[in-house]
Amino acid sequence: MTEIKHHAYLFDATRCIDCRACMVACSVENNIPMDKTRIWVAGVGVKGEYPDLERGTMVFHCMHCDHPDCMSACPVGAYTKAEDGPVTYNPDVCIGCRYCMNACPFGVPHFDYDKGIIDGAFIDKCTFCPQRIYNGQEPACVQTCPTDALEYGDRDDLLKIAHERIAAHPDRYIDHVYGEKENGGTSYLIISHIPFNELGLPKLPETPVNEVSEKVMEMTIPFALSWGAVLSGVAAGVHMYNKKKEEKDTVEVEVETTEVTK
Amino acid sequence: MKLNLTIQPRFRLKFPPLVWVLLTLMGIAFVFAMIRFTTGIGAISDLSYSYPWGFWISFDLFTGVAIGSGAFVMAAIVYIFELKEFKPLIRPSVLTGFLGYIMVVIALLVDLGHPERIWYMMIHWNHTSVLLEIGICVMSYLTVLAIEFAPVVLENFPKLHKIAHLIHRFIMPFVILGVVLSTLHQSSLGSLLLIQPTKLHPLWWTPILPVMFFTSAISVGLAMIIFESSLSSRFFKRGLEIRLLAKLAKALPYALGVYLVLKFGELAVAGELGLLFTSGIMSVLFWAEMLIGVIFPIIYFSFKKNRTNPDALLAGAIVTLLGLILNRFNVSWFAVKHPDPLYYLPTFMSNVKYIPTLPEISISVGIFSAGILAFGLIAKYFPLFEDEHEVEEEHQPMKRFQTLPSAADD
Repeated sequence: MTEIKHHAYLFDATRCIDCRACMVACSVENNIPMDKTRIWVAGVGVKGEYPDLERGTMVFHCMHCDHPDCMSACPVGAYTKAEDGPVTYNPDVCIGCRYCMNACPFGVPHFDYDKGIIDGAFIDKCTFCPQRIYNGQEPACVQTCPTDALEYGDRDDLLKIAHERIAAHPDRYIDHVYGEKENGGTSYLIISHIPFNELGLPKLPETPVNEVSEKVMEMTIPFALSWGAVLSGVAAGVHMYNKKKEEKDTVEVEVETTEVTK
Repeated sequence: MKLNLTIQPRFRLKFPPLVWVLLTLMGIAFVFAMIRFTTGIGAISDLSYSYPWGFWISFDLFTGVAIGSGAFVMAAIVYIFELKEFKPLIRPSVLTGFLGYIMVVIALLVDLGHPERIWYMMIHWNHTSVLLEIGICVMSYLTVLAIEFAPVVLENFPKLHKIAHLIHRFIMPFVILGVVLSTLHQSSLGSLLLIQPTKLHPLWWTPILPVMFFTSAISVGLAMIIFESSLSSRFFKRGLEIRLLAKLAKALPYALGVYLVLKFGELAVAGELGLLFTSGIMSVLFWAEMLIGVIFPIIYFSFKKNRTNPDALLAGAIVTLLGLILNRFNVSWFAVKHPDPLYYLPTFMSNVKYIPTLPEISISVGIFSAGILAFGLIAKYFPLFEDEHEVEEEHQPMKRFQTLPSAADD
């Protein structure tokens, strides 16, 4: 296997047979109960009228964005983006604010609502199986997929494969690789025969959704300093003005009184 | 001989009925909070995968911080613009802000998955996170409010007058720091939603959300001072500074006017004016918040008779507050569209509707009751409404401390 610079998945919705073996494999590999799985299958059901029937399923797990919104949102920096792809979560610093769940446009992170403070309620999400990929293995979900609907490899290679596959079967695929540019690029690429929004994927711009809030945050410190300076200036100005006015008033009063005494 | 065998209690708790009601509400909230801490947030709330933030965030955080804005508005009026005539209003509004922010923090301790780690915000900084900014600002601002309010408490203890005097002398840096911190976190509550352009309805999502939040926070602050002064004058049977409140009410239409122009101007610039009529329930919510909280008060407070009559003033302030609070609920809850799972989903996703449960609401109510009780107690035992004489005697502060009437004596 060639060296992988940017770990990525490719999902081909036309190949998925909805067996959900990936869900089982993930739970077994990572030792998570099935009802808290990090990977789940969403589908559109059967579409169209007989005999032109169509059905589509979508395997969801963390998109491992290149500009992760969870990481941008997390106040304590519990998320890290590895240079070679995976976005990982560190439960040791998590305060459980659940802002990442709000921030993620794909709705990936989920939270232990059934745990008290003694057990510890944490966020959970796909880790990209670091214990496997850094030891030359494929992630559990990919390895178990019987139809190769999920593939794993270097992002550039997978993009090439995806585009080649679309070019080879233009009648079968929508001419778009979801995740190539969405949200600033993701490490989970999707090609499909049904529109992506029907698969449950949000329509996203090519800039990451955290762009505006990060720009606002960059302005915070300069704004705070200049706003403080402006307020100090105003306060000093008002104070000086009031003092001068007071002095003037007293002087006028004095003048009046001296005139009267004359 | 007849023996009186009834046992006389040596000590009897005698509270007015309202205090009993408040204590009961607090007790209920405490029980539910204990259930939440031992068995998890899911046990008492309807929060879910689809709705990570619900009633607690909309009511306790968004509304709580907004109605705490009276403190910084008043501090700016009195200290920065030196409109000294408003001085009688500053202590109650600083106290409202202080208690309001403490309530926010208590509510967050219930809402956070790891309340014992709330201080991690001070040591683990992720500089791109809006929530971090809010956390840091709220923590620092609480300190500033405590310093601003400290003299009221310290004046009750003759030995500590020196400290109170020191705080009075050097209040300006704290006032400016407080206004800056308030500006930052009031606007940042708006920035909190900037990261959800795909989830928040376009009628509300705009890059200038922070500006909107700050502008409306000023109006909330003005309305809140009117509301809280009117209520406490009724409740504690003391004089109402109707002349001062009327002046604040006169400023309200201007503050709200700026907000109105911003709101519709932004929609016009973004070319989203059509959404005002085509978004179904979202259009209704938008118009409701604008009509109740902005357009109605602008018209209402433009009439002098509404500003000078105590009842009319209070009624107008309540309507304004309700409208602006609806805006906070809209932005943080009603207008946020959450992922809509399709099928074959794990059980943690099964709940896509969110209806706040009774325990959830009663926790907020309990915290709110604690705030009211604390305000009442402080108003009763500390010179909260008695700093009118401060203005005249400012040049001889030491003399003032010597002749200070002790409010705790009665």
